[in-house]
Amino acid sequence: MEEAVVANNLVKRYGDFEAVKGISFRVKRGEAFALLGPNGAGKTTTVRMLTTLTSITSGEAYVNGHNVKTEKLKVRRSIGLVPDVSNLYEELTVEENLRFTAKLYGAPLERVEELMREFDLPAKRKFGKLSTGFKRRVAIAAALLHEPKILFLDEPTNGLDVHSARAVRELIRLLNKRGMTVFLTTHNMLEAETIPQRIAIMRDGRIVAEGSRKELKDLVGRETRVRLSLEPLTSALLKRLESYNFRFEEGYLVFEVKDPDEFLDFLFGLKSELGFRINYLCTELPSVEDVFMELTEKARPRGGCPL
Amino acid sequence: MKVPAIVEKELKEYLLKPGSISWGIVFPLVFTLAFAVRFGDVDHLAPGLLAISVLFGTTSFVSSSVIFERKLRTFERLLVAPVSYLEIVFAKALTGSLFGLFVGLVSLLFLRPFTVYGIWNPALLFLFLVVSAFCFSSLGLYVSLVVKNPINAMTWLNLIRLPMMFTSGAIISLLLFPRWFIAVGLLTPMTYAVEGLRFAMLHYYDVVNPLYSLLVLLILTLLFMYLATSRLENLY
Repeated sequence: MEEAVVANNLVKRYGDFEAVKGISFRVKRGEAFALLGPNGAGKTTTVRMLTTLTSITSGEAYVNGHNVKTEKLKVRRSIGLVPDVSNLYEELTVEENLRFTAKLYGAPLERVEELMREFDLPAKRKFGKLSTGFKRRVAIAAALLHEPKILFLDEPTNGLDVHSARAVRELIRLLNKRGMTVFLTTHNMLEAETIPQRIAIMRDGRIVAEGSRKELKDLVGRETRVRLSLEPLTSALLKRLESYNFRFEEGYLVFEVKDPDEFLDFLFGLKSELGFRINYLCTELPSVEDVFMELTEKARPRGGCPL
Repeated sequence: MKVPAIVEKELKEYLLKPGSISWGIVFPLVFTLAFAVRFGDVDHLAPGLLAISVLFGTTSFVSSSVIFERKLRTFERLLVAPVSYLEIVFAKALTGSLFGLFVGLVSLLFLRPFTVYGIWNPALLFLFLVVSAFCFSSLGLYVSLVVKNPINAMTWLNLIRLPMMFTSGAIISLLLFPRWFIAVGLLTPMTYAVEGLRFAMLHYYDVVNPLYSLLVLLILTLLFMYLATSRLENLY
């Protein structure tokens, strides 16, 4: 089977509350896939269903070709999970934690040494005494001990400082480059912008959009934004700039342009003609964040007239 | 390989947790010593005190373990690994039993200077200690998994353990109570442990034949293990 994960109409209900409302998606082998969504969108519940941690109310899911409902042990053997909290044993040292995990999965104990070297982990330090960043690294190492085919990461950089978060992102990218299928959930835009090849955006238990970053950005259809600070801002200059639509935003001139190259040619032509200074120039391509905001905010009913 | 690994991890992680120490070691041993020092000759009290030590040792340990596993979400490490629910429950019950057995043996050592008679059948005593420890451990595990908020597990356990100390005839023989109280005693799992230990140590029993006690303890162990396994399966 080419797909690492197949979800068909997955539903999770807790009493009357429906946390996941019939979602379907596929993740290819070797792909990095992200579920992006605000808190409470149903991302974690989806991961918990796919990793056998919580039962599926209805629908079907296959992980590495194994039915999640009926072949739980096979699914567990073939996956690694890094949950949103680094839940290893506080009183055990890093080495003891990894050895214990290796025994649970029947992984060779040499893998422990190998991963401790690769992740530069302090073997003899108690897990409870480590910093949050190191804890996350140990959690990732523990999830990789049995060389799983797919790695699930639930909010992998949640609560980490900038340096640790960057290190974790690098690590995930490296693992994916080596051919591992990566399935992550996040509400971190930087993560969504840099790690996955495909993204599904979730809102209120449903997938509202799915595709590559480019496909998602095309959905929004926003043009390139150019932000400028020019000096002196004479009335003659403003008059000439009027051929493009612009607005003032926080002291900057902001343009939305279809062809940024053509606009920059125009701007520099104008500069040599009128002799102004460019104090600030920045072009912003449409981002995953734009798509996210558009899809998770726009669909909400506004004011008193939802129809 | 997985069960011994879980047992080793449990002992390393939860042995020194406050719940294991205070309710699992300090309370039963101080309780035993207090009775021994107060009454001097405690031959007839010894089986009951021993049963209390095993009850508190086992249930406190498994409860501490489940409280922390649920609170810190380490349970999920076991549940996402290729380990069956039964293996997890069995490993936890086994660790609690080992801890309770250790507390029971220390309690027995404490009692020795205060007893006149020797132990009638040491092998039978050991058998009853092991079976009782497994039964109580499974009970503690089930209760700790059933309570909604894991922080309250120890309180709920005390609601069961403290009355059992009296309804089991551990301190005062059931023969001294009215018939309805004996009936309550027969519904108490600890009664069968006390009766079995009494027979093994002193070669007599009050209300339940030792063979019957052994059988009931084994059936209850299987029942609590089954309930704990089902509960764990439905918990997440």
